[in-house]
Amino acid sequence: MYYLGVDVGSVSTDLVILDQDKQVKEKLYLRTKGKPIAAIQEGFRVLMNKYEKAEIAAVGTTGSGRQIASTLVGADAVKNEITAHAVAALDADDEVRTIIEIGGQDSKIIVIKNGIVTDFAMNTVCAAGTGSFLDRQAERLEIPIEEFGDYALQAKTTVRIAGRCAVFAESDMIHKQQMGYNEGEIIRGLCEALVRNYLNNVGKGKEIQSKVFFQGGVAANKGMKAAFEEALGITVAIPEHYNMMGAIGAALIAKDKVEKTGSTNFKGFDLAESVFSANSFECQGCSNNCEVVKIQENEIVIGCFGDRCGKWSNKLAV
Amino acid sequence: MKITFPHMGNVHFAAKALFEDLEIDYVVPPFSSKASLEIGSFHSAEEMCLPFKIMIGNYMHAIEEGADTVIITGSCGPCRFGEYCELQMNLLNKLGHKLDFIVVDSPGDIGVKELFARLGKISSSSSISKLNKIRALHQATKVVRLIDGVEAKARYLAGFEKNKGECKKLLNECKQEAQNCKKSQSMLALMNGYMDKLDNVALDNDKNPIKIAIIGEIYTVIEPFSNLYIEDKLMDYGVSTKRTLSPSWWLKNLVLSPTNLNQLDLKRKAKEYLPLMIGGHARECIGEAVLAHDEGFDGAIQIFPMGCMPEIVSKAILPKISKDKDFPILTLVVDEMTGEAGYVTRIEAFVDLLERRKDNVLSRC
Repeated sequence: MYYLGVDVGSVSTDLVILDQDKQVKEKLYLRTKGKPIAAIQEGFRVLMNKYEKAEIAAVGTTGSGRQIASTLVGADAVKNEITAHAVAALDADDEVRTIIEIGGQDSKIIVIKNGIVTDFAMNTVCAAGTGSFLDRQAERLEIPIEEFGDYALQAKTTVRIAGRCAVFAESDMIHKQQMGYNEGEIIRGLCEALVRNYLNNVGKGKEIQSKVFFQGGVAANKGMKAAFEEALGITVAIPEHYNMMGAIGAALIAKDKVEKTGSTNFKGFDLAESVFSANSFECQGCSNNCEVVKIQENEIVIGCFGDRCGKWSNKLAV
Repeated sequence: MKITFPHMGNVHFAAKALFEDLEIDYVVPPFSSKASLEIGSFHSAEEMCLPFKIMIGNYMHAIEEGADTVIITGSCGPCRFGEYCELQMNLLNKLGHKLDFIVVDSPGDIGVKELFARLGKISSSSSISKLNKIRALHQATKVVRLIDGVEAKARYLAGFEKNKGECKKLLNECKQEAQNCKKSQSMLALMNGYMDKLDNVALDNDKNPIKIAIIGEIYTVIEPFSNLYIEDKLMDYGVSTKRTLSPSWWLKNLVLSPTNLNQLDLKRKAKEYLPLMIGGHARECIGEAVLAHDEGFDGAIQIFPMGCMPEIVSKAILPKISKDKDFPILTLVVDEMTGEAGYVTRIEAFVDLLERRKDNVLSRC
């Protein structure tokens, strides 16, 4: 039996299949590109040739697109990304005390004590330091994002970049470029600025204790890891499947859920070939004027959400 | 004279009952929505707090329906709310709307005489007898107390109900039908009926639900639109919630404030952390957090609008309480830029956190 986890994030859509022993059997890292349905279908097209519907014992979804993903695949568990990340990290190493997670659009800190989450925080006002910002800077400097971290590590000195806000950080970077600093130094400075920003905003007032896990897409950036270690003065560990932790967590949560309920809602891999459409309309039922999203599979409505009263979303028991 | 007022949770029920009993023409603005917020944000200064913007939206909608007089509550406390009436009058004047503002303030600040003079302005347009006017006021306070009671009961029982969603359904029905009632008497009868229905909801007494106290800035905790309907969401998760601040609480506090006998329990609870009144309801917020812990709640959620001075102070104190008492507290800041996805993620994760703590007894060691 296998367990499927789907994490639909702002930048990437991750699918993971775990085997009976909770080991990662298959992992897919796809770009969401603003089209969550297409991304899930793309992933399922790969999986459908390798696995049968009956082999999947449980499905969990997470990420900002967890609702839409759940409607599509028939999830057993729909969980927020904070819990999913914590569950996956604890499964990888039960001694983890702090999780630093930086994804495409948001960054989080999760504090764990005696194996349970005791505190967490998410970035509120600013997206500086998240994956999309680094992506954009890499593009601007014409350096592949995969090599971004290496540049930072090669730099001997560092340039101080104002990292309070993404827009100002970018202008400051341009300014430093015009002054003639080399790329490596600027990138290292940028990593340090982002870490400063993270610790001051997200990590403010939180006790960061070892063992620290650094996960999410940005953990691939060696420069960021080095900057965190320097700022915190402790080693930061990167779990093996750092960019899949959300999906792994979702699969684990779904596994637990199905062990309690006994059966899965999984709809099968066929949806890869279905035609989906999503329409939104403003409900005129009352003065709330909710924006309702309607998802159709082959012209049959499979789910609605966005309404407060349940007039649309409760009509179909998903 | 056609009276209107800004929305704040259940206040509109009391206002409707009062004006109908007094036989005064009035307009209930459409419920706060994205549209009211958009209009309000358009006309207000960018850094102004969220309640101000939503209120402006309410006035503009009411003006479209012919309102010419606004009743709002005032406050001479050290927080921006004290300036609301002046700023709003100014703003609406500049937009070319000649509105009369009647500011109901605490008798401790403006004196009983002035308060009665202001209230007299409202009642002068009513043709019923003086005795009936007093009766109308009394009935209106009963309405607000009752609907706050119905709401508090439904929110608390939501964690214990056998059939999921029953309490929420009853609460929504009650509010929906109360809007169609004429005068206070029928409204009270209807609400009493729903109170009985809530008493008869099938409960699962073996359940041990997560209990969360909602604390923070008064407007954003009471007006559901401004906090993105957090209490409804928590009801859906099967969480029992309690909120001390409500329109009826405010009323009682207002009446008792000149005697200094108001909120004795909250003041006592807050004493260790914040012994002074620093404006807004910061001291109450601290007191409620301590009280919620003492009452065996699992956690608290603090909500306040971006830039709210008193609540920023309490936000800085809450981590200490959280640490001292091992009591999780989540802080949510709302303004017109609040994205619902991140907001819901935090609430869900907080509920998960409380659930896992509860299952894991060791964590409390």
